[in-house]
Amino acid sequence: MQKSPRQRTFPALSRRQLLGGAAGLSAAAMLPVTAWAQGTQLNVRVYTEPDTADPLDASGFGEAMLYGCIYRNLIQYVPGDTWGHRNDLAESIEQTSDTTIAFTLKAGQMWSDGYGEITAEDVAFTFERNLDPEMNSRILPDIGPLNRVEVTGTHSGVFHFDEPYAPFWTIALPYLSGAIMCKAAVEEVGGRIKTNVPPTVSGPYRVREQRPGERWVLDRNPDYSGDMPAEFERCDIVYIGDEAAAEIALESGDLDFTEVAPGSVRRLQDNPPDNTDMSMHPSLFYVWVGMNMANPKFEDKRVRQAIQYAINVNTILEAAWYDVAEPSTGIIAPGLIGHRPESIIPPEGDTQRARELLDEAGIDRLQVTLNVLNDVTFTTAAQVMQATVAPAGIDLSIEVHESGSFWTLGVEDDGERWRDLELIMNRFSMLPDPSYATAWFTTEQIGDWNWERFSNEEFDRLHKEARTETDPERRDEMYRRAQDLMEQSGAYRFITHGVTPNLYYTRVEPATRPDGLPLVQYFSRA
Amino acid sequence: MTAFKYTLAGRLMADPLAVMALLIIATLVGMAVFADLIAQHDPDAMNIADRFAAPSAEYWLGTDNLGRDTFSRLLQGGRIALTVGLTAVGIAGTIGLVLGMVAGFGPRWLDNALLFIFDTLRAYPTIILALALAALMPRGLITVIVVVVLTSFSEYGRVVRTQTLSLKHSEFILAERAMGASFGRIVFHHILPNVLGPFFILAAMNLPVVITIEAGMSFLGVGVPPGTPSWGTTLKDGFDHIRQTPWLIVAGGLPLILVTLGFTFLGEALRDQLDPKLRKSR
Amino acid sequence: MIQYTIQRIALALAIVVVAISALFCVMIALPGDPTSVLLGPRATPEIRAMFREQMGLDDPVPVQLVHFWGRILGGDLGTDFFRNRPVSEAVLNALPHTVALVFGAIFWSATLGILLGAFSADRRNSVLDRLTGVLSVAFIAAPSFVVALYSLLLFAVVLRWFPAIGAGEPGDIVSRIHHLVLPSLAIGLAWVGYVARIVRASMLEAMNESFIRTARAFGLPRRRVTYNYALRVAILPAVQVLGVGIGGMLSSAVFAEIVFSRPGIGTLIYESVSARNYPVVMGSMLVAIGFFVTCALIADLINASLDPRHRTAR
Repeated sequence: MQKSPRQRTFPALSRRQLLGGAAGLSAAAMLPVTAWAQGTQLNVRVYTEPDTADPLDASGFGEAMLYGCIYRNLIQYVPGDTWGHRNDLAESIEQTSDTTIAFTLKAGQMWSDGYGEITAEDVAFTFERNLDPEMNSRILPDIGPLNRVEVTGTHSGVFHFDEPYAPFWTIALPYLSGAIMCKAAVEEVGGRIKTNVPPTVSGPYRVREQRPGERWVLDRNPDYSGDMPAEFERCDIVYIGDEAAAEIALESGDLDFTEVAPGSVRRLQDNPPDNTDMSMHPSLFYVWVGMNMANPKFEDKRVRQAIQYAINVNTILEAAWYDVAEPSTGIIAPGLIGHRPESIIPPEGDTQRARELLDEAGIDRLQVTLNVLNDVTFTTAAQVMQATVAPAGIDLSIEVHESGSFWTLGVEDDGERWRDLELIMNRFSMLPDPSYATAWFTTEQIGDWNWERFSNEEFDRLHKEARTETDPERRDEMYRRAQDLMEQSGAYRFITHGVTPNLYYTRVEPATRPDGLPLVQYFSRA
Repeated sequence: MTAFKYTLAGRLMADPLAVMALLIIATLVGMAVFADLIAQHDPDAMNIADRFAAPSAEYWLGTDNLGRDTFSRLLQGGRIALTVGLTAVGIAGTIGLVLGMVAGFGPRWLDNALLFIFDTLRAYPTIILALALAALMPRGLITVIVVVVLTSFSEYGRVVRTQTLSLKHSEFILAERAMGASFGRIVFHHILPNVLGPFFILAAMNLPVVITIEAGMSFLGVGVPPGTPSWGTTLKDGFDHIRQTPWLIVAGGLPLILVTLGFTFLGEALRDQLDPKLRKSR
Repeated sequence: MIQYTIQRIALALAIVVVAISALFCVMIALPGDPTSVLLGPRATPEIRAMFREQMGLDDPVPVQLVHFWGRILGGDLGTDFFRNRPVSEAVLNALPHTVALVFGAIFWSATLGILLGAFSADRRNSVLDRLTGVLSVAFIAAPSFVVALYSLLLFAVVLRWFPAIGAGEPGDIVSRIHHLVLPSLAIGLAWVGYVARIVRASMLEAMNESFIRTARAFGLPRRRVTYNYALRVAILPAVQVLGVGIGGMLSSAVFAEIVFSRPGIGTLIYESVSARNYPVVMGSMLVAIGFFVTCALIADLINASLDPRHRTAR
């Protein structure tokens, strides 16, 4: 499961320690010769800290990055600009019917530290321990209606599903739940890996140690038997929450690769640090302004539409995303099945129309509160929005929440706050399958993650059917229709998917998913 | 009474530090009060094209991440700082004064209970208590004031209590009592005037501390709402954009340092004048 | 004295217990469901319920409080369910960084403060004395988080003499100290001012005492007399002030740790407060308050043993 939509809280709070800045004049000379000086150490920053070596306890992209280095999957994402996958452990893998996927493993793929060959037993064990209610897995939702894994030979097996489940290919097999675990080793330690150094690994790197709150130190795995061996002797996954801090760390040579803040892009383009390059990727996150339809203030659809029209997305992007991000048309980013080419209401909005709608609703001045996360991009966006909706007759006050309070605003389990909730500027994280986006806006999700309390029978049906639809074109159509329904309800104003600018030294050749998130296992020396 | 005041003012004016302190304070207060007249820009007017501008004839202290004029915002920030400072010190001082005298005069158990409360409140690192409390209450100036009052009244309480205790047993009070003076007369004519000296020194020293807590809370994002031109939010904006411009931090810190300097010097000077024991040792 | 010591220790313990219990109740009352924060948007209600139960979030507050103290007395600070490891581990990881920071600050304030104070006393009533006097007050006056931001800007971002973030490479003492310089200075600067003033005052007092005058009469060099004899007399009161000051330094440490992105108790508390990670908040607050109260207690006892009047004044 994804950590709550990319938890960037207050930057300083998450700005964390990392290896010392070698920028100091005197100390630089005294520092021991570090491995990277010889090009054999890689330091990649991660924005959310990997917490565990056991996938069942994984909570987000931090772990996905770690597991990419130390574990192997049947298939893996291909680095580049389009989403796709390549075989890793799998010799072959294919959808044999709507509800079955058959796979054959490459022979001679080994566990480290003498745990033998990777077999179909291990694959079955991996998915079935995830299914086991006793195991209380955090990543259970990812595998959807998987029923069991049948082992048909040492190197072959079949996944059986209760109903068709297309997203298995995009969010399960190559992601957290698809990281194959060693049956013998896991059973030896009592069924769950609780140490930071797992008993055995299969990926190109192995764990030397974890320094909590700081970094995971990985070494080349000498027992790796795949076709993409480690390019570096040592690879550190360095946790720094804040982009500005990460940028400083990169400039002082402590990092080889990091995402930077949108606000830094222009400056880094004009004046890049020596020997660095920057790449820009469209991100998958989706940012939107939502309205709580259960609040009497927003009962009148015209009021909701007035707010939709009053928001000028372009101005917000110019100020808070420094003009490097594009307006979004919905919750599904370009490049994914179901992306809408354009939204119904244009990004620049229409103050005139907003005013007319308010007049029709009989409202002179509308007083509303916008809730945002304590994060510089969002608080800046909120201030700009406050300025741009004022001419339409909307007085916006901003309420900033730290993450603890923000993520429970609309949750019914947590008191009565959801009743008075008004506007929310929100961001959810995303994987390359549209079902991962629509899942949070169904009727079932009301009071859980559907804080707009949007309820539409057609939408619910589309979400359910599209998940099992195997024809890409029909799926595409269904998800586009689903987003039309969201926008037509008046409860959503889509802002942006953001952008992922990566800054890195030219001594490394980075490998990223199409959304810019790094696939560290594929990084190489330039 | 007027004679006393006159001589105090006179003595303060003879102390160059005190004069400097009063000048700084007068300037800051003046700028806060007449902010609207002095500012050349609307403190909330955004101008994205001019963001992160360095100081210039147009923008005296540069602009922030939304192109708003830093100088005009700091002037407004002065109002917030003074409002929070004076209100919080006033409330905390009053509570502390009353509780301190109650502790000093009251029965032993009450004294002990109050002392225990004072000590417990002092055991929290200020800013951590502020964080925990701010998460409980809606964001805004009221919350900041409540937090500051909670964290600072115990200090007044302790000082007033100590002062009251030492006076209670002093000869002239005992004499007054023996002569049958009423409780109210003793409190208002003898204790209160004598307690007020150290009390005002503490208040003068405490005001900048309170202003700093407000700035600190806003810096941590638990103070005033974003967009409010407080000194703390300016520093926070500067910290967030430290790679883009150094001027926000430089400018945002100046008024905090000045106000602290001003009131600390004033407190020092007051102490020199009001606290005979210290004056002698100088 | 023994009775007084026992009294003070009992009081200190009572303060810690009440302060922590009050905080515990406040934390429970905070809006925000820890399960949603810790488990993310994809947690199913079942997973959440299990998590609530594990953390004991469904019990009434007094029950939770009793359980909490029961665990503490058993030497268990609780479990950080987010990271699935004991709270004591998180606290023990963070504590050395904060202790190093505070001692770094004490180092700054002691050395700079004593030097400045001795210098000032040596040249008493000169222009330089007056200047250091003003400087001392200015140091005391500068808010520590402004000092932290200014030194970050000047020495780390502009001049790049010192690193801007982190605590340095473990095992590499040079890197550790290099990272400690700026944040400890930010915390210690105010205390440089305090110590300088106290050292100056006690030295002036001491210099009038007979043995120094005698030493001078014997023709010992003036400077040597000042620094050797007077300094020795002056250090004790300075140490006492610092004993009390350690508590205040903890508050400043929160800012220094955040501004310089250092691991430590301050960052730990700040992060766990906003994540509603109750077990970690309570564990780290317990340590912080315990630290604070202990320092105050020690300073108080030293004071009492030196000056019996202090004992009866209470």
